[in-house]
Amino acid sequence: MDEFLLTQVINYGAPLLGIIVFVGGLGVPLPCTVIVIAAGAFARQDILSWEAAALISIVSVVIGDSISYSFGYYSRDKVLSRFSSSPQWAKAEESFRKWGPLSIFFSRFLVTAIALPVNLLSGTTGFPFRKFFLYDLFGEIVWIFGYGGLGYLFGSQWELVSEFMGNFGGAVLGVIIFIFGIKQAWNWQEKKKMLSM
Amino acid sequence: MSKPENPKQRIFIIASTILGCLLIFFFGLRAFHAFMKFKGHRPPQPAPGQIETDVELIREWMTIPFIARMYYVPEKVLYDALDIPPRENRDKSLEEINKEYFPETNGLAMQLVKAAILAHQPPPTAVLPLTPIPPLTPLPPLTPVPPVTP
Repeated sequence: MDEFLLTQVINYGAPLLGIIVFVGGLGVPLPCTVIVIAAGAFARQDILSWEAAALISIVSVVIGDSISYSFGYYSRDKVLSRFSSSPQWAKAEESFRKWGPLSIFFSRFLVTAIALPVNLLSGTTGFPFRKFFLYDLFGEIVWIFGYGGLGYLFGSQWELVSEFMGNFGGAVLGVIIFIFGIKQAWNWQEKKKMLSM
Repeated sequence: MSKPENPKQRIFIIASTILGCLLIFFFGLRAFHAFMKFKGHRPPQPAPGQIETDVELIREWMTIPFIARMYYVPEKVLYDALDIPPRENRDKSLEEINKEYFPETNGLAMQLVKAAILAHQPPPTAVLPLTPIPPLTPLPPLTPVPPVTP
């Protein structure tokens, strides 16, 4: 898949790059980060205009993310009718209001594997769209300029950069899951202590 | 909120902690390997506008116009090396070209392209050795100048 998309990006340029990141924003699992890093390297080789590629990509991916937010938003009633009475749901909503901005921002470029669940959750929990849009935009700007910039900086060595960044993102996801597990265990112990008192 | 004694919660905590550790170990190791490869084994890549010379960077997904541009080689040289018409092959990757024109030999298209680029590149210019500098000889002592008599 990566190789097919890379061939098409060098054939059709920035518009195709925009379509790929748009579809990725909708939640289709495409190797968007690899393509963005490669696009940076192509810009260095004058295959792509970096200004056009960056602008088209940012606009496309933000539209894709907004549509996936709307999937969550419009399925809110169905979800609420099923879960709204549960205290877990109220807690999830509350914690998303607290951690939502950070999770939206960092899931755009650092832990891209959770970007779609975060978009859907933002819509379902009624996270304000304006705030979602703002954090999404900042996160995507970091993604496009940061990762595309790495591709530009390292040129023909972009494949190694891409390999490193992809694995680094996986490791960060591991750290988040590990911390989450530890925090849950901590809360559990605290509750146990309180109940025994 | 469910009771803390809930066995499901215990399983969830243990599973998320173990999964987190596994992901850190697996991806961390791969990231470390990628970093070491990056650090040690590649020559510095050319600055923007400079010619790429390392033909080992050619990949199966690349097209002929892309390779021609990357290595500053006329497209015609590459099409001639492959002995294929340019018009209908501009958008095809090396892999597709290989499948279509050289189905019996895996990777032949790439080998032909690499050979054509290497043949087209100017030969490396020899660096002339520096001329040896003769050792310094001590200067003769200055002879005193006789006073000028009026």
